[in-house]
Amino acid sequence: MTRPATFRASIAREWRFLVRNPWDMALLTWLPLLLCGAIAWQFSGGVIRDLPVLLIDQDNSAIGRDLAIRIEAAPGLTLAGRVPDLGTAETIIRAKQAQAALLVPPDTARRALQGQAPVILYFNASYPAAAAAVQREAGAIVEAANARLAAERIAAIAAPDSVRPPPVHAVTSIAWNAPASQELQLVSLLHPALLHLLFMLAVVSAFGRELRDGSIGEWTPGIAALAGKSMPYLAVFMGWGLLATFWLAGVRGWHFVGSFSLFVTGYAAMYLAYLGVAVLLTGATRTLSQSLSITGLYAGASFAFAGAIFPLEQASAFARVWASALPYTHFARLLVRTWIAEGSTMAVAGPLLAMLGIALVTVVPGVILYLRAARDPGSWGRR
Amino acid sequence: MWAACRALFAAIMADRAAALLLFAAPLIYAGFYPSAYTGEVAVRAPVVVVDQDRSAASRNLVISVGAVQQTAIAASLPDVAHAESWMADGRAVAALVIPEGFGEDIARGEPGTVVLIGHGAYLLRASGALAGIGIALGQTGREAAREQARAAGPPAPPALALQSRPLFNTREGYGAAVFPGVAFVIIHQSLLLGLALLAGTARERMGRDMRLTRRQLAGIALAASLIGLLDVGWFVGMVFWWHDYPRAAAPLLDVAIAAILFVAATVAAALALASIFPTRERPLQLVLPISLPLFFLAGLSWPAEATPTVLVALARLFPTTSGLELMVGMNQMGGSLRDYWHDALNLGLLTLLFGIFATRRWTSGLEVERGG
Repeated sequence: MTRPATFRASIAREWRFLVRNPWDMALLTWLPLLLCGAIAWQFSGGVIRDLPVLLIDQDNSAIGRDLAIRIEAAPGLTLAGRVPDLGTAETIIRAKQAQAALLVPPDTARRALQGQAPVILYFNASYPAAAAAVQREAGAIVEAANARLAAERIAAIAAPDSVRPPPVHAVTSIAWNAPASQELQLVSLLHPALLHLLFMLAVVSAFGRELRDGSIGEWTPGIAALAGKSMPYLAVFMGWGLLATFWLAGVRGWHFVGSFSLFVTGYAAMYLAYLGVAVLLTGATRTLSQSLSITGLYAGASFAFAGAIFPLEQASAFARVWASALPYTHFARLLVRTWIAEGSTMAVAGPLLAMLGIALVTVVPGVILYLRAARDPGSWGRR
Repeated sequence: MWAACRALFAAIMADRAAALLLFAAPLIYAGFYPSAYTGEVAVRAPVVVVDQDRSAASRNLVISVGAVQQTAIAASLPDVAHAESWMADGRAVAALVIPEGFGEDIARGEPGTVVLIGHGAYLLRASGALAGIGIALGQTGREAAREQARAAGPPAPPALALQSRPLFNTREGYGAAVFPGVAFVIIHQSLLLGLALLAGTARERMGRDMRLTRRQLAGIALAASLIGLLDVGWFVGMVFWWHDYPRAAAPLLDVAIAAILFVAATVAAALALASIFPTRERPLQLVLPISLPLFFLAGLSWPAEATPTVLVALARLFPTTSGLELMVGMNQMGGSLRDYWHDALNLGLLTLLFGIFATRRWTSGLEVERGG
């Protein structure tokens, strides 16, 4: 057979296998749909709303009543109730019936006339996402209450000129993500995090299975056959990548700021890199179960190491080295520089080249090792 | 029953992949996973500065921004466009723009305005950087207030001052908030994968319709539960202590009961799942990728209040959801079983549900589903 014919025959052979084996097909079909769908569904609210907050009003003044109304009115918060003291509040927060408590200490109304009367927000730091939202909202509420109180104080006691706006005023904005939506930040990264793991599991299974079952003997692959075998997986998972992107960019309205075509190129480069690692793993271990376990370690924790949420610069030296060996880390950088913002040519080329580099340094020894295993019947059938 | 219990341990020791999943994985992940979060609190976030005012006040502000712990000035740039392109290239997570006239406004007794821009793709890091710039602004503001006071008399401070105090995770560390939850996903997946792999292997050897007596199944469940409890002890007693994650003194008996409930539900789910797969490697292919959604569904990194109600209800079908809430609540927040009775009840019901399913599948000798 000529090379193109071998390539095409290998695609057809792999596809026939998948059609006959529903559990293998599951990795390409309903499992990605189910997992990506669950993530998309969970974050479809976008911003956090109606977090329950308790009010501990020990002052019983207009300030406490004003804050209660403002908590109820804030889109991110809802008033879960009023409690007499911090102990009661802590019990309720511990039982997760509330995320935070706002304490208005005794004598606040009087001290507010002098200014800087403390109002204390106790928040549940064990639940970081909710904690950040509660702090942001409470800051806005107290600022708004201050603006109103300033006007009242001018009327009450203070000399008109002495109540001035603070000397430095900051206007804050979030670039490219004005509502500070976690949906854009998290879902855009979680979908490829799931897809590259599923892809690598599928490819490791495809190559490892031939050695396990000894079917590699009648298949006798060369480079063209290996490439053909990979094609259905590359095509199907590119499809899932595009669909996940379409969900966020098309349906949910998180449009591309930078280059869509470079982003898609990045997706392909990421899959190629994981393909290389998968072939290398299978060729080196010659055992499907071991290759799959190592895949779990290598591709299963990418999201934690990619530095997308927590900065990598502060992680340990091991974590930084490990992260740069993961194609996903580079893909996450590329995603930010093509989808969310528009990075310069250099900033986009860096992660792309890194992924292609990983693909190259893994696929060459991978193919050599795998083809060597293919010619060695003694290494087949390992479990 | 005891024979089956011992037989499971023997089977694990004889199978390298099973030993790796059930014994080695909890050890490896305990060191591996937290290494991503060793910094705990985001410091020295790269910030770019655009000082178009070039006054004494603006220079003071830039110096303060460079001095606070949360930020590090990556560059001083001539205009906003440059600042945006630095952020777009991922070289900075926030920008401080000081427009012309900032110093003059302050000198006149009017507020000087600055513009802060955070990177929308790095919300956590940007908000850390912006909070750092806020501290620097506070310092500059106090100096400016003294300046203004010479001209217009002392200003009145704002009526209320908000102070934020963390409860439970008082270090507010990132790893300290995430890993005490992740640990239980690791235990769950280790048991699920290890047991399903062993079951698949046994079924390959003894035929697809292999069946167990109820006693044998109980013995296997007991052995698996012992492993699960050892895992919980390892993470709660050793790993959390080693990383100095917040630990609260929850009543020991309550923690023990909670651990037993979580492990029981997990083992029941694992045995139920293990009855479906007829091949050794199948669970690895299909169960490995569910870890990430399991963790997010548990509500630690995305509150249940912001998750669609139907999904919150469906998430209760996984032992990890109630297990995480229960164990984080006890270990990190110092709660007792009474605070989390609904989680405990949930785990009890799951144990029953998966237990009945597993018993039916394993002791009836029904033909397992097609596959291979």
